[in-house]
Amino acid sequence: MTSAPEAVAGARKNLAGLLVLPATLFVAVALIGPLTILFRYSLNKFVPGQFMVDALVIENYVKFFTDAYYLNVLARTVRVAVICTLACLVMGFPLAYVLARTQSRFKNLMVIAVVLPLFVGNAVRAAGWMTAFGSRGALNASLMGMGLIDQPLEIMFTETAVLIGIVAVNLPFMVLSLQSVIEGIPRNVEEAAFSLGAGPGAMFRRVLWPLALPGVLAGTILTFILAMNAYATPVLLGGPKFQMMGPLVYGQFAQQNNWPFGGAISFILMTATILLTALAHLIVQGRYRANRPAE
Amino acid sequence: MARLSISHLKKRYGELTVVDNVDIAVADGEFLVLLGPSGCGKTTTLRMVAGFIPPSAGQITIGERDVTNLPPWKRHCGLVFQSYALFPHMSVAQNVAFGLEMHKVPTAERGPRVAEALRLVQLGGFDERYPRQLSGGQQQRVALARALAMEPQVLLLDEPLSNLDAKLRLEVRVEIRELQRKLGLTTIMVTHDQEEALTMADRLVVMDRGKVRQIGTQRELYEKPADRFVAGFIGRSAFLDGEVTAPGRFRTAGGREIACAAAGASGPATLALRPERIAIGSEADGLPNRFATQIVHASYLGAQLDVQVALDEQERMLLQIPNRPGLSEPRPGDTITIGWAEDAGLVYPREA
Repeated sequence: MTSAPEAVAGARKNLAGLLVLPATLFVAVALIGPLTILFRYSLNKFVPGQFMVDALVIENYVKFFTDAYYLNVLARTVRVAVICTLACLVMGFPLAYVLARTQSRFKNLMVIAVVLPLFVGNAVRAAGWMTAFGSRGALNASLMGMGLIDQPLEIMFTETAVLIGIVAVNLPFMVLSLQSVIEGIPRNVEEAAFSLGAGPGAMFRRVLWPLALPGVLAGTILTFILAMNAYATPVLLGGPKFQMMGPLVYGQFAQQNNWPFGGAISFILMTATILLTALAHLIVQGRYRANRPAE
Repeated sequence: MARLSISHLKKRYGELTVVDNVDIAVADGEFLVLLGPSGCGKTTTLRMVAGFIPPSAGQITIGERDVTNLPPWKRHCGLVFQSYALFPHMSVAQNVAFGLEMHKVPTAERGPRVAEALRLVQLGGFDERYPRQLSGGQQQRVALARALAMEPQVLLLDEPLSNLDAKLRLEVRVEIRELQRKLGLTTIMVTHDQEEALTMADRLVVMDRGKVRQIGTQRELYEKPADRFVAGFIGRSAFLDGEVTAPGRFRTAGGREIACAAAGASGPATLALRPERIAIGSEADGLPNRFATQIVHASYLGAQLDVQVALDEQERMLLQIPNRPGLSEPRPGDTITIGWAEDAGLVYPREA
C-alpha cells in the first residue's frame, strides 16, 4: 500500500473502470459502430436499380476526386468554413476580452446576450431573413417602392447569406471559448507589459495573444468543425444551387439512395475537417514558438 | 533616477473621493512608503503614478517631465506587483529582456543587461527557467529584475511582499532595501504592514480615507504624530478622552486631573500616551501624574509583557513592561501604581 491518495476515488476497488463505462458504451454504440458500417459501405458499389452491391473498391472516392463539381463543393465548404472561423475570431476576440474583463454587475446578462442567437433556430432565422431580405421582402419592397432600385437585391441564396448565417450561429461558441481563457489571464500581467514600455499593440501580440492561445485554438476548432459540417444554414439561406458538403452527404443518402457514394463523401468531409484542424493547430503553435525571442 | 512629485492629486468616483488632494515629493534616490489601512487610497495613488488610473485632478511629475496625461508605457516606471505578474509563457531571461525589447535596446546590449539584472537579485543561472518552476520568492525577484533591467526613473512597489511567507518576507525586505540604496532608486512602496514600512522606508506617508495624515521619518511619526489617527496607527498608544481645562491641565472623562505640558487651548480633547513613557511601581515615585490602577489583563510576549490596566471604569491603558529576571508576574486584579511625566503625553483636539 502506498500512502499517496488514490488518483480516482474507488481506483483500488477497480471502480474507476466502471465510471467511464456509460460514456464509452454510448460513444461505441452511437458513433463508432455506425461510422464503421458507413466506412464499409463507402467501399461498396452502387448499381442503379440494385441499390448497393457488396464489393471492396475505391471507385466512390475516385469519383469524388475526379469530378470538378464535387471538388468545387469541397473547396467551397472549406472556403466558407475558413472565412466564418476567421470572422468569428476577429469579431469574437474583442467581445470576449470585454466580457472577460468587465466589472459590470450586468456581466451575466451580457453573457446571456451572447448566447441569445442560439435560441433562434436555423429554420426560424431563415424564415425571418425571407421576410426581411427576400426578393419580395421588406428591404427590397421599400427600396423598390422608393424607386431607388429596379431589380430586387440578391441577398437571399448567396454565399454571403450563408456566411452571415453560419457566423451568427458560431460566434457564441468562439466568444465563450475565448472568454473563459482570457478570464484566467491576470489583468496584472497586462499592466506589467504596459509598465515595461509595451503599447497596446505590442502587449496584445507578445502577452495577451500567446496566453489566450488555448482559447483561440479551442474556439477556432469548434467553429471550424461546425462550419464545415453546416447543414441547415446552407440549405435554407444558400438555396438549392448553393452546395456544401453537409447537404451533399444528405442528398446522396436521402434523394439519390446512393449510400456508398454518400459514405465516401462523409469520410472525405471528416478527414478534411480533421486534417485542416490539425494543420491550423500546427501553424498556430509554430508561429507562437517563432514569436519567442531566441536569446 | 529622478525626483517624483505629486501635487493636488485627486481621484473621484462619482460622489466618492478616494484620493483627496494628495501632495507628496519624493527626493532622488529616496525610499518612500505609503502606509495606511485598506481603502485609504494608497494603492489608487500608486496606480495613478504608474498611469493605470487617470487622476480627476492634480499633477504628477517625474524628473522634469509632466507625466499626468501619459499612458503607462511612456512613463518609465518600474512596477512590481503583489502577485508577481510574470509572463508565464516566457523564460526568466525573456521576462527580464521584455522591457529592453520594448524600449528598443539593441539585441547585443540586452544579454549583458539581463545577466546583470539577474545577478543583482541573485538569480544568475536561472535564465532558462520558467516562472512556474520558481518559488514565490524567486518569482518576486525576477519581477524586480524585470523592472530594474529597463533602468526605470521611478520604482513602484505594490505590496511586493504580501504573498511571501513570513521568513522569506524578512529576507526579501532587506534585499530590496539594499538594492534600492546601492542603485539609488527613487522608490514608492505601498504596504499595509506597519513593521515592513518602518524597517524599509526613508520616509513614510500615512494615509487615511484618501487624505495624507502625515509625512515624516519613523521617529517623527512615532514621537510627534500629527493627529490621533497617526498616534494610533504608528506604534501603540493609550488614549484618554477628556478635556483641556487650562493650559497644561487635562481632565479625563472620569474626572482625573493630569498635568500635561502639551495641553493648550481649552476644549474637548484626547490625551495620547506611548506605553514606554509610563513608569510603574517605584519608578513612578515623584512623577506628577501618579495613579493606582487595577490590572485587567496581562499577556506574556517574551521580551515584554503587555498589561491592560483600568484607570477608571471605562478608561483602560496599555503598559509595556520589559521582561527581566525575577519580574513578578502581573495578575489580573492586582493593583499597580503607574505614573508619567508632564511632557509624556500628546494632546489632540477631539475629532467631531
